[in-house]
Amino acid sequence: MKREVRFAEIAVVGGGPAGLCAALEAARAGARVVLLDRQDHLGGQLIKQTHRFFGSKSHRASQRGFKIAEALTREVASHPAVEVHTGATVFGFYEDGVLGVEQKGRVFYLKPARVIVATGAAERTLAFPNNDLPGIYGAGAVQTLVNVYGILPGRRVLMVGAGNIGVIVSYQLLQAGMEVAAIVEAAPVIGAYWVHAAKVRRAGVPIYTSHTIKEAYGKREVEGAVIWQLDGDGKPIPGTEKDLAVDTICLSVGLSPLIELLAQAGCRLAYVPELGGHVPLRDENLQTTVPGVYVAGDAAGVEEASAAMMEGALAGLHAAYSLGYGQQDYEARRAAIREQLEALRSGPVGEKIRRGLSKAIIQL
Amino acid sequence: MARTAEVVIIGGGIHGCSIAYHLAKCGVKNVLVVEKGFLASGGTGRSAAGFRHQFGTEVNIRLAAASIKKLERLAEELDYPYGIELFQGGYLMLAYSASQLEQLRKNASLQNRLVNAGTLILSPREIAELLPGLNLEGVVGGSFNPRDGHANPFHVTYAYARAARRLGVEIQTYTEVVEILHSTSRVLGVRTSRGEVIYAPVVVNAAGPHGGVVARMVGVDVPLYPERHQILVTEPVEMFIPCMVISFTHGTYFKQTPHGSILMGVGDPAGEVKDFNQRSSWQFLVDVATKMTFHLPALRRARVIRQWAGLYDMTPDSQAILGPVPGLDGFYLDIGWSGHGFQLGPIVGQIMAEMITGQEPAVDVSYFSIERFKTGQLIPEPACV
Ligand SMILES: Cc1cc2nc3c(=O)[nH]c(=O)nc-3n(C[C@H](O)[C@H](O)[C@H](O)COP(=O)(O)OP(=O)(O)OC[C@H]3O[C@@H](n4cnc5c(N)ncnc54)[C@H](O)[C@@H]3O)c2cc1C
Ligand SMILES: Cc1cc2nc3c(=O)[nH]c(=O)nc-3n(C[C@H](O)[C@H](O)[C@H](O)COP(=O)(O)OP(=O)(O)OC[C@H]3O[C@@H](n4cnc5c(N)ncnc54)[C@H](O)[C@@H]3O)c2cc1C
Repeated sequence: MKREVRFAEIAVVGGGPAGLCAALEAARAGARVVLLDRQDHLGGQLIKQTHRFFGSKSHRASQRGFKIAEALTREVASHPAVEVHTGATVFGFYEDGVLGVEQKGRVFYLKPARVIVATGAAERTLAFPNNDLPGIYGAGAVQTLVNVYGILPGRRVLMVGAGNIGVIVSYQLLQAGMEVAAIVEAAPVIGAYWVHAAKVRRAGVPIYTSHTIKEAYGKREVEGAVIWQLDGDGKPIPGTEKDLAVDTICLSVGLSPLIELLAQAGCRLAYVPELGGHVPLRDENLQTTVPGVYVAGDAAGVEEASAAMMEGALAGLHAAYSLGYGQQDYEARRAAIREQLEALRSGPVGEKIRRGLSKAIIQL
Repeated sequence: MARTAEVVIIGGGIHGCSIAYHLAKCGVKNVLVVEKGFLASGGTGRSAAGFRHQFGTEVNIRLAAASIKKLERLAEELDYPYGIELFQGGYLMLAYSASQLEQLRKNASLQNRLVNAGTLILSPREIAELLPGLNLEGVVGGSFNPRDGHANPFHVTYAYARAARRLGVEIQTYTEVVEILHSTSRVLGVRTSRGEVIYAPVVVNAAGPHGGVVARMVGVDVPLYPERHQILVTEPVEMFIPCMVISFTHGTYFKQTPHGSILMGVGDPAGEVKDFNQRSSWQFLVDVATKMTFHLPALRRARVIRQWAGLYDMTPDSQAILGPVPGLDGFYLDIGWSGHGFQLGPIVGQIMAEMITGQEPAVDVSYFSIERFKTGQLIPEPACV
């Protein structure tokens, strides 16, 4: 192993929508960018999203996620100032600002002048008896299995969680030929957009609100699940158990920002439930409390792809600007992106996010 | 609010918790441990937790022998239900030159003479039998003691803390001692970060690498400095390292934990800035990976789980500073363990309790007095990384 460090102007960690837009924006401003993603392809969560996007029209809504990923990936690949590394996991953010990267069994070290962390979020899990049986998945993982690799995880599934992801994945599993035994949701109301929920209901899938999973059972793998009802305080009501014969259980109970690298870098974090958990404090330009280190996308707070793209663009723009690039267009470009971002987060749908951001955005 | 205690112990590492337990066992009432983080959050929890008879100075050999005896039946003595992951597979010290082997020979005969330690000198062939996975390149021999080994430092500390609490000791975590109240001739108590003042006739400095900072609170200068040391952990692999191993030539030591992970540490005393930085470095990762795969070629394909850093509390002779401070009644030191203090915590806690309660210490530790830095007679411990 060599004790060698490569220098870079801007490193972007994560090639999902946030990272892709960060890289593009910075490169367009004139900076040189190294984009790293641990997957073998760019696009992040988008590559498995075959459904038409929710979100507002002007921000590519009603396009399909994987198409957006393809378009952005093409743009990045053809930009001479972006050097792309796939299969490259950033495993450490060290004291002297050096990133440790493992790429296909080799290790190299990168010392960028600016770092944009766009690592996305991880699926949460739930604690219940036998939750480690084979056949229990995160809903996002199942979406990858089905839509990217064309593999069905089983025949009959229980979906836990009726937010957008739970409902969309349920619908896609129906389309792919699986039976959906039920969707349970602990809250008294369905979190997903009603268009999606109505579609799965029309297909005959019961959605049990104020319900949760009690336990899974099975000898070597999932053979069934028991669900039960919750009272007004969220406590299970004995005697309301229902037994469902399923061979697959999907958990869609939320995402947590992947902030490990930022924590290691020494960024100040805050616990903001509205944004999915611990997130780094940052200013309006997405710069964290460690100078030169930025965050964007789900890593900054679980939101959605359009917001991730704009946050990425803002972070990329400012990182490049702070290195002396794109000085003439900076103000206009920044104002344009911020205006779009504000529009996206306006209205009642954005209320929770706005509340979360008010706790996470600080003046540096 | 002001309150009182018989003894306030600063630091909830292995030393602080062991002292607290032994004081309570001696019948001292109203003992308080103040720890600024969680228990074992300092050097203790970051150590490799090896223990060995194999030291090169009389005092450390006697302490180690007594401490290992205590470790062997610690879980029972303290009625600790989880066990301390005591693993007595031996400790192997590798020699890469004739002079190193000579030093190990000298140490071994001293150990065997003083405490009947049973330390052996092994040929490269015998080493190969003991540890088939080891690369013997350059190895000219080694010393080995089958009763040495390693334990889990968290369990050992918690075992003492639990037993101490059972005997009435109070332990405050996430509480820092910010001031030591004292007159010109004696300590009077402490003030904590919670704003509380605790009056006490005895204050013990068991603050590990921060021992110098704490001593300065009463105007006492100790020649103590922090030095970062780092450790790498691999994924669990099949058990193939039955003993702990150390190489002074490479500055390396390693062990395999009961669940299969391999821990390897490398010291770089020449390269380290002497400050309180406890962050991990990538240079260490490069260095340790190179050395690890040199010693244990089979690990070339093992995956790394993580790395961490901790601080040694170093002194000029790599020896502890122990006991009362002349001229300042009630102030006791238990610091300066220079990277080998985990294993001695059990016996030193007892000795500190004996000193504080006016008994004869089980082992003569007079060399460790802070006075030695005035007289200038230093006897460095040779068996350190
Ligand atoms: C099932 C599902 C349906 C969704 N539907 C919609 C929708 O309809 N509309 C919408 O707007 N949003 C939707 N979203 C949300 C949207 O996908 C995310 O908000 C968006 O992808 C976040 O983008 P990102 O770039 O922040 O993170 P991600 O897309 O998660 O990308 C992060 C990237 O970082 C890489 N990475 C992580 N850690 C490292 C590391 N240490 N080293 C190197 N690379 C690393 C990952 O491999 C990944 O490629 C959906 C999400 C899911 C799971
Ligand atoms: C990488 C590494 C490997 C090691 N390997 C070994 C080994 O194999 N074998 C061995 O025997 N030893 C080993 N050691 C050494 C061993 O860890 C130490 O000698 C031992 O843990 C010292 O214990 P302690 O209780 O004195 O100090 P510590 O464990 O450091 O405890 C001191 C405590 O005091 C607290 N504190 C400090 N200031 C204050 C304050 N003002 N108020 C309140 N609390 C305070 C700290 O938070 C800390 O928890 C190793 C050390 C390191 C770093």
